[in-house]
Amino acid sequence: MSKNNPVGKGASGDALFPAVRRLADRLILLLLLGGICLFILYPMLCILWRSLQGEGGLTGDMYGVVWEQYGRSLRNSVFTATCTSLLCTLFSTATALLISTGRGWRRALGMGLLLITMVSPPFVSALAYIQLYGRRGWITYRLLGLSWNPYNCWGVIWMQSLSFVPVNALFLIGMLSRMDRDSLMSARDLGAAPRDILRDVVLPLLRPGILVCVLLSFVRSIADFGTPVTIGGRFTTIASDIYLQLTGYSNLEKASAMNMFLLVPSVAAFFLYRWLMGKTGPVSGERAQQQRLQLSLSRCGAAGWLALVTGGLFFGMIGLQYVCIVATGFIQRTRGALSFTTQYLEELLEYNSETMVRSVIYALIVALVGTLFAMLFSYYIYRRRVRWNTFFDCLATLPYMLPGTCFGIGYILAFNHPPLKLTGTAIIVLANMLFKQLPTTTKICAATLSQIPEAQERAVRDLGGDQLNVMRDVIFPGLRPAFLSCFAYNFSSSMTTAGAVLFLIDPGHQLAVFKLFDAVYSGEYALASLMATFIIVIVLLVEGGVYLAMGRKERSHVS
Amino acid sequence: MYLELEHLDKRFGEKRVVRDLSLELAQGELLCILGASGCGKTTTLNMIGGFLTPDGGRILLDGQDITPIPPEQRPVTTVFQSYGLFPHMTVLENVTYGLKFRRLTGQQIRERGMSYLELVGLADRAQSRIQALSGGQQQRVALARSLAVEPKLCLLDEPFSNLDAALRTKMRHELKRLQRELGITMVFVTHDQEEALILADRIAVMEEGALAQLNTPEELYRRPATPSVARFLGVDELEWRQDGTVWKAIRTRGPI
Ligand SMILES: Nc1ncnc2c1ncn2[C@@H]1O[C@H](COP(=O)(O)OP(=O)(O)O)[C@@H](O)[C@H]1O
Ligand SMILES: [Mg+2]
Repeated sequence: MSKNNPVGKGASGDALFPAVRRLADRLILLLLLGGICLFILYPMLCILWRSLQGEGGLTGDMYGVVWEQYGRSLRNSVFTATCTSLLCTLFSTATALLISTGRGWRRALGMGLLLITMVSPPFVSALAYIQLYGRRGWITYRLLGLSWNPYNCWGVIWMQSLSFVPVNALFLIGMLSRMDRDSLMSARDLGAAPRDILRDVVLPLLRPGILVCVLLSFVRSIADFGTPVTIGGRFTTIASDIYLQLTGYSNLEKASAMNMFLLVPSVAAFFLYRWLMGKTGPVSGERAQQQRLQLSLSRCGAAGWLALVTGGLFFGMIGLQYVCIVATGFIQRTRGALSFTTQYLEELLEYNSETMVRSVIYALIVALVGTLFAMLFSYYIYRRRVRWNTFFDCLATLPYMLPGTCFGIGYILAFNHPPLKLTGTAIIVLANMLFKQLPTTTKICAATLSQIPEAQERAVRDLGGDQLNVMRDVIFPGLRPAFLSCFAYNFSSSMTTAGAVLFLIDPGHQLAVFKLFDAVYSGEYALASLMATFIIVIVLLVEGGVYLAMGRKERSHVS
Repeated sequence: MYLELEHLDKRFGEKRVVRDLSLELAQGELLCILGASGCGKTTTLNMIGGFLTPDGGRILLDGQDITPIPPEQRPVTTVFQSYGLFPHMTVLENVTYGLKFRRLTGQQIRERGMSYLELVGLADRAQSRIQALSGGQQQRVALARSLAVEPKLCLLDEPFSNLDAALRTKMRHELKRLQRELGITMVFVTHDQEEALILADRIAVMEEGALAQLNTPEELYRRPATPSVARFLGVDELEWRQDGTVWKAIRTRGPI
């Protein structure tokens, strides 16, 4: 930024080649911004361009065709998303209240189940659903003797609602833990019974957060194609139609236009979300109080009981789901008798170890490169405020709003011909993961960055260091906590998110999520269960490691 | 006596935060609990308010043992350090919140709320949002809210510590006036000697969870019981008589 570097103060080796170092600084910036343009802006433009292609040049015809042909799916999407967002929000709020007011082992168990659900790949609930409530399901068929068709929209809504709960619930738990204890105490002090406190103080204060949950669940449901594809049966949504279009590679113009339809509600929801977030108070920064909410739900009247029952139901179903997953992988049924077997596990290790190792390696690469990218990017954008910073900031936020299919089809359109022929390579998969996750990692880094006093930076410059010294000596050390959070986020997202990657992956170089999806889709439930268990265990291990590393840092800071 | 604390004890794990604390206060008086930060003032106040259960001892108010009564039923209200106002309600809704739980009609509730708002000079802001008020005004709303339920005892936990110096002085005098006017019994917690000396009818100096001295401001200032109380009050040196009582206090600041 400033041209008049103070020179001659620091006589270290660093100061020897100021011109070279300035060049390096520019080069890094160029790489970052170039990456953003190439891997976010360009694919998006490709979709827009392709959706407007018709027989006689530029036209909006395709939108009309899609509207006519897929009107039903669109309505299905909106219906499903509406039901899912309401049901999921009910579950999330109840769960958050249950955990926030709970104590001891129950709270720990609840958090544990939430964490496991959070790091589960998206098809796990569909898989468990088929096993438990399907045509030959443990509960519907074997226990209750029902014969029914489980492949319909209610299954989709139910399963989406369960699997979207963790993110919402953790968000609400965070809000509850930041809630002003004095407000709650005052209410009590003035004579309010627990029921009144819940109704008059807790729920109203939580309202913006609850709205955020409704919104986010809506958007996720609209964009989710995995659940309807696996358990929707003949019930299709626009997202599952896009998936079917794409896997056939039949009509990219049509798929592009369909994606543009998906884009509108997503972007609208995003801006509403941003507006609401302004009202929920700071997300990070101040440490959440570890104090639990002093409220006994059983004494909170009807609303309290509703929370207890719904939250209990959620945990019951989730618990059952994971018991079922593990059981499916290890229990064999021969002529009606059940027995423990490692046969499936052996098969998995024999045929799929390569896939699993590849998944972990990819996830590690994305975690390292992505985190580094986010740290540098947030430094240049938020700290150096390079030219056009707002524009690039918006660009980097774009993938957050986009449904995975949309981002995926953009990559197919952008990178399937020379000179940028990347389809079928690992690079396109890695880049897709990295840039899809960039909005979140950038925000984490920005939050931490804002806590590094600018005076430290000035001090480096003042004492004769240049921008690179600032980065190495102030920014990177200061961003260490963000590094760990981003690493964990990148790793677990890369291991568990299916979205766009399903279309981009080369069948010869499969990943675990893909294999899992494949196995659920084609009915190999034992393999799918083991794959899911593997993914969950690996992610939990890495997250646990990061958690420990973070803890140690903090402890050493104190002492 | 109107309020009696009898041998109160409180531990957090191993740590004994309040030790054998006994106090007395007459009706209509204002007691200041004065002590350095971390000496157990808030803990004591929370026990009187009912938010913490003492590990030993009991609390009597107006002849009744209130120790087992939960806070929502105690005739005691607290003005919290960070006010604890409800940000999603208007000023009037805040002030009348506690009245909802009394047997009053909507009309009575409104009138009572407005009269207390008038008392603190905020009647014209009745419909404002809490966020639209300044710190001093929020402070007054919190006070009005606590007084509106007409408690037998009102507790205040460093209520002025978030205000700037000038406003603090003003609020002190206003509080004193209100307390006299309404004849309400108050316990006021502070770590500020000057504040305690201005406000209190009686001052209880706390040190590491125990009562060091309880007396009127004047007596306290003139005859600090121990060197540490003297030091805390800003009395630097004491000269002792042969019999061990204070002979002379050399003050760094003049008496107020
Ligand atoms: N909930 C708690 N758990 C453990 N220790 C506490 C808790 N609350 C207060 N303490 C400790 O008790 C001591 C007295 O606290 P407090 O009553 O808040 O002091 P004061 O209000 O005089 O500053 C402090 O050392 C504090 O760390
Ligand atoms: Mg205190």
